[in-house]
Amino acid sequence: MSKKAASAHKLPVFSRGLALALSLGLSLAGAQDARQSTLVIGGDFSDLITLDPGVSYEFSGSLVAGNLYDTLVIYEGNDLKTLKPRLASSWKVTPTATGSRIIFKLRDAKFSTGRPVTAADVIYSLTRVIALKTPSSFLLTDVANITAKSLSAPDAKTVVMDIPKTANPNIVLALLTFNVGGVVDSTEAKAHETNGDYGTAWLKDHSAGSGPFMLNRWDRSAQVALDVNPNAFRKSPNIKRVILRYMLESAAQQSSLNSGEIDVAWDYTPDAFKAAQSNPKLKTLKTDTFQLQYLGMNSAKGSPFEDPRVREAVRYAIDQDGIIASLLQGLGRKTQTIIPIGLAGSDPKIYYPYNPAKAKQLLAAAGKAGGFSVDFLVSTGSCAGGVPCQDLAAKVQSDLAKVGIKANIRQMVNSELLTAYRAQKAQLIQVAWSPDYPDADGNGTPLSDYAAKSLAWRNSWENAAASKLAQAAAIESNSTKRLAQYGQLTALLAKEGPYAILFQPYKPVVVQAGISGFNRNANGDVQFEKISKK
Amino acid sequence: MLTYILRRLALMVLVLWGVTLGAFLISHALPSDPAAAAMGNNAREEQLADFRERNGLNKPLATQYVIYMGQLLRGDMGTSLRTQNGIVNDLRAFFPATLELTLVAVVFALLIGLPLGVIGALYQGRPPDLLARTFALLGGATPVYWLAILALTLFHERLGWLPGPGRLDVYSLAPPTHTGLVLIDSLLARDPAVFWDALRHLILPALVLGAYSAALLTRMTRSALLEVLSQDYIRTARSKGLSSARVIGKHAVRNAALPVLTVLGSLFGSLLTGAVLTETIFSWPGIGGYATTSAISLDFPAVMGVTLIAGLAYSVVNLLVDLAYGFFDPRISFS
Repeated sequence: MSKKAASAHKLPVFSRGLALALSLGLSLAGAQDARQSTLVIGGDFSDLITLDPGVSYEFSGSLVAGNLYDTLVIYEGNDLKTLKPRLASSWKVTPTATGSRIIFKLRDAKFSTGRPVTAADVIYSLTRVIALKTPSSFLLTDVANITAKSLSAPDAKTVVMDIPKTANPNIVLALLTFNVGGVVDSTEAKAHETNGDYGTAWLKDHSAGSGPFMLNRWDRSAQVALDVNPNAFRKSPNIKRVILRYMLESAAQQSSLNSGEIDVAWDYTPDAFKAAQSNPKLKTLKTDTFQLQYLGMNSAKGSPFEDPRVREAVRYAIDQDGIIASLLQGLGRKTQTIIPIGLAGSDPKIYYPYNPAKAKQLLAAAGKAGGFSVDFLVSTGSCAGGVPCQDLAAKVQSDLAKVGIKANIRQMVNSELLTAYRAQKAQLIQVAWSPDYPDADGNGTPLSDYAAKSLAWRNSWENAAASKLAQAAAIESNSTKRLAQYGQLTALLAKEGPYAILFQPYKPVVVQAGISGFNRNANGDVQFEKISKK
Repeated sequence: MLTYILRRLALMVLVLWGVTLGAFLISHALPSDPAAAAMGNNAREEQLADFRERNGLNKPLATQYVIYMGQLLRGDMGTSLRTQNGIVNDLRAFFPATLELTLVAVVFALLIGLPLGVIGALYQGRPPDLLARTFALLGGATPVYWLAILALTLFHERLGWLPGPGRLDVYSLAPPTHTGLVLIDSLLARDPAVFWDALRHLILPALVLGAYSAALLTRMTRSALLEVLSQDYIRTARSKGLSSARVIGKHAVRNAALPVLTVLGSLFGSLLTGAVLTETIFSWPGIGGYATTSAISLDFPAVMGVTLIAGLAYSVVNLLVDLAYGFFDPRISFS
């Protein structure tokens, strides 16, 4: 209701009694129109810290920033292998003496402020990320190996990016699709700069992008409201406003979706999702993710997992089908290698069919016929696919017990769990990993290369061949050769690696039957402008 | 009386200082790394080192505490490690929502608990008393979590009588913030529609949150009143020929108020900090959710801020309760 209309009611309204208000409810004038053109998404958005595309590094932040800001290039919908134009109408990669050069030609686009998008804005946006040392700036500095000097603009519609031989232009392009490459109206950002912060404080809860929406307001922990950007080149059919409503609990989301208060529910538990499948008023979507839920086995000297046969035994001992069918209610896929299904380089082969007898043999061969006891670190929270981590751990524990491995579950909050893992102090741990950018290297390097000081290092697993393969594949620009390298790498990791992959979850999303065009891809992106509401 | 208040205020400062020291030591005793928690699973070692440097986490603990106290004395509670927001701003954004919910919950608890307790005492052993005692038992034993989901499913989803989660309807525009209490802000904005909306949104969570307190108050009021009713002065009053209503209203209830008041004070404090579950289920943007997220992400400055404000609220309510004693029992002096 508009304020003007509301104030016309004046105070005497109150005296009409509580009972009346309770039973009749309050009809908000004009609300019907608003409801038709507003898309309301209920979900756990508590990870939202900032809407600044250069700083945001969380799922919710990326989701919103992806609709407020445009990147040069993008993956559209579920096709995360084919690069599509966005702000750049075209781009060309050419080899140079020191590496390669990417030339982007910009399309005619306008920011929500009305200013045209220029090459200067692109360069400002990327250099501000480098200067600010944001959580995601390592993608530009360490992965793409670019500096402020690597970027130039021969004219207002051309951006030139020089990258050294140590970086793969295909990976650079892939990571530019992430919100770290979001282009900000530099004039607007500079106008709101305080203490040389490149407008970060302001951009936290304001927007200055060219995306299909612009920020109306963000009431922290309550809701984020986005309005259509009238200057955008991507148009929405009938949605004028998108509201992301904070609802932490699956139960609250169910209740609100059933009552028609929200259009999309984001965080259903597997059980609730199953129930929704038989409700004709709702549509259930199993959306893809690149997450891998896995067990990490510390392979340090003296550890029970030092012997590769023991690690194999664990992989044979885990009943993946059982986990997916009973705990996830089908909301997961079976995979056993380190690159998730959906990325070029993923390996569909099932190396370890469930076989506890074989697991026992391997343990005996490794001199552990009597089994052993190990600390099993598990988060107190929710695991990939919405399963409570403790439920998943209980299943893993019982699977391992069948082959003689006694896993003593130690539950701790995620931050504590990660600290132990980072310090190489986890013997056996149940965690998830999600790549930073949709490329095999987003998993290849951290999971295989000990020198990257990421997951392979945390599990004290050092393997020269794996490191070499991961490093070579990262910079290989011939796609056939690259696929062959990842084939070798995934096979090597499946045999020798310190991981037992449990599953690759689907993210359950439930929408009202009248919603069409809703798609959430494995990166977690949703293009709000493609959604319409009946 | 003024001296008494000043002395209590001085004592409160001392208590709050103790709270900062305790909270600081406890939160830093955890064997985990706030940098890793803030930067996430994928962060690299250099990023963590940089984060520790920027947020002063690599300084000795004593130095960190001195810096923190220095800031605090200037009215600055520091910056959240997770959100990089000023803690004072965060508390200003989240605390009023919890305060409003708690105040309404206390009002509900009083409206339900006091009359039920009085009825229970007056009809001791008879059906109305049975009702009061059953309520006291059930209200005290029902888990908040279960009650919240039940209330939401029944009154919102099935019957559609009351709105669902949140402080306002999705389509309502929040009034301009003055106090942070939507009920008051909407009145200030002369926006009765939003006022009703906010009030309707408050009913379910406040009832759920207040249920336990209402049950406790019923029990307290009942037993306090029963004790008073057996006293000599009540018999004297009755024998003087005073009407029953006057005996109960003037003599009994007033004397039974003291223990009830004591309970109420501590209830308010525990409601304020114990709203976590109710807030989670009703998607209430209050301090409960903020405290939980801060604690699990090892956001020490934020945890300190929440602890301090909870300590402050608790102390202030206790002081008010103590002052109210004098109103109910003139024999209590504050000298």
